[in-house]
Amino acid sequence: MNEILLTAYILIWPVISAVVLLVLIVALIHDLRDASKSDSEMI
Amino acid sequence: MSLRSLNQDDRTYMQEQTAFYQLSGTTALLLLAGFYGLTFLMSLMIGKKKENVDSYMVSNNAVGFGLSAASMIATWIWAASFYASATSGYQYGLSGPLHYGFWGALMILFIYPYGRRFRALAPKAHTLAEVMHARHGTSSQLIMAVSNLLGSCISLMVNFTAAGALVSVLSPLSFIQGVLIAGLGVLSYTLWSGFRASVMTDFAQLVAMILAAIVIIPLIFFNAGGTDMLAANWGNLSSEQSDFFSTKAILEQGAPYFVAVLAYAIGNQTIAQRLFAVREDLIKSTFLTATIGYGAVVIGLGMLGMLALFVGLTPVDGDMNNIIPQMASTYLPPFGIALFFILVVGSLSSTADSDLSALSSIMMTDIYGKNMARGTPDPKRMLWWGRATMIVATMIGVVFASLRLDILVMLVFVGALWGAIVFPVIISFYWDKVTNKAFTTSVICAVSLFAVARFELLPLEGIVAVFFELFASVGMGVVLGLMTFAFFNRKIAIFVAIAAVIIAVPNAVGFLRDYPVLLSSLTSYGISAVVCIAMSWNNSERFDFALLAERVTSFQKSADTDKETSTDVDGDVAPARA
Repeated sequence: MNEILLTAYILIWPVISAVVLLVLIVALIHDLRDASKSDSEMI
Repeated sequence: MSLRSLNQDDRTYMQEQTAFYQLSGTTALLLLAGFYGLTFLMSLMIGKKKENVDSYMVSNNAVGFGLSAASMIATWIWAASFYASATSGYQYGLSGPLHYGFWGALMILFIYPYGRRFRALAPKAHTLAEVMHARHGTSSQLIMAVSNLLGSCISLMVNFTAAGALVSVLSPLSFIQGVLIAGLGVLSYTLWSGFRASVMTDFAQLVAMILAAIVIIPLIFFNAGGTDMLAANWGNLSSEQSDFFSTKAILEQGAPYFVAVLAYAIGNQTIAQRLFAVREDLIKSTFLTATIGYGAVVIGLGMLGMLALFVGLTPVDGDMNNIIPQMASTYLPPFGIALFFILVVGSLSSTADSDLSALSSIMMTDIYGKNMARGTPDPKRMLWWGRATMIVATMIGVVFASLRLDILVMLVFVGALWGAIVFPVIISFYWDKVTNKAFTTSVICAVSLFAVARFELLPLEGIVAVFFELFASVGMGVVLGLMTFAFFNRKIAIFVAIAAVIIAVPNAVGFLRDYPVLLSSLTSYGISAVVCIAMSWNNSERFDFALLAERVTSFQKSADTDKETSTDVDGDVAPARA
């Protein structure tokens, strides 16, 4: 396997993890906002 | 003094001193106190004025996407995930991390359609065993419940052991001190609010874990020499290790893990609990995100094992669990080691709190609620049972971890039990002919024959080997059929299953006997499916699935209704418990 491809293969996972983290944080902020609007608890 | 003149213990000690960077005792204590202190403070944010027994187990059945997905990922990742993925990368090279992380992630994806079915049939369930009780009766329920009690206790013990090992390797604190701090820390924030505390703290723990992974993986890669190092050290990989489609990696790591993890996903209460807690319309997005998140974090950390192979690292004492701590010690600055420390503590704590919540729910619902109180439990007493369970389970986990018992046999047994129940559980919620007797008998037969193959109680040769290989081929068909059925209709699933068996038989006979781990797992699937179908086929009674929602209801609501009824009739409040 080409070294550049192998480097990408190794470093792609932290990038995907970062994207997932961003999605989760945005979703949590939405949930928090909805909960405060409806005066209910998130859990 | 020459190294040769030292005894073995001294040499091991010196080797460890040079292989591992040690945080100071104060730093380690501050990190642990900060971590558990913050999670405890988070748990205090949960409202406690109105105690509710259902919330203690499954929250409000309407947890949002962010919290649910984060909690699924954090629960699915345990301390062993990193170590096992890195070991796989170290042993099998390029494809190694994928053969751990990818299959583990994929199973989250494959179980969500079944999860939606369970949830639709019994929207107010607390445990899957409770739904089995409503479908079949006590024996099926207890098989699920006992397997989970054992499984979660083992998981607790493994996670506390990981805490002890981490603390003793990376700080001057002892193994026992690490085990005790982790045990008390997890119990402190989970005890009062149960599942709700677990879900809420999972989010913060996952954020810490992902941030650590995002920093650690590239740092180690570039500090180890980056792309130039890869180009220079290709020679350290064998031909199998440098083959992305290595047969050895598939047969020894990928396939057995793939089969085992499907069983874990269906049988484990920690997953079922989150399934019953998330808002029903968010199940798909939650499981999809959890699939990607789990895969990315675990495969990413598995890459550290592969990098260890490239740089020619030798694990201290030959212990593969030392690969990641050694890589961290060699290639990370002190703050990176602290991040790694938090990464492992976060992963083990998030799984341990889920196990405590799972154990308490099973004791509350399946042991006290359905059996001791015969379906009319007192919510206050139920909560008492839940909290007492958490305390006892933590004590058991801490004691067993401290004794460093060899739990492989127990672990294998629980895995076998979960493997044996996958088909009977799933089919019970789609086929109205399956009986309690068929369920129970099929599980017992599958576990018994699993043990024969796994521990080679009979020599795996001649007709015996052929017998197991034929059932393992059926098991292969069952696994692929179930995975197909998750997304397609029954006819396509049956076609895939039959085709898989036809293709598998000539390839498996004479071959699978050399891979007893895979052979026994597949046999378990095959036997349970054949016995369950055979015993249910001629059953003339049909089960009405609508009964499940009637039989599985909220405990708090039922008890409150009972109280109101009692008040109306007698003019005085009678105890809810009959």
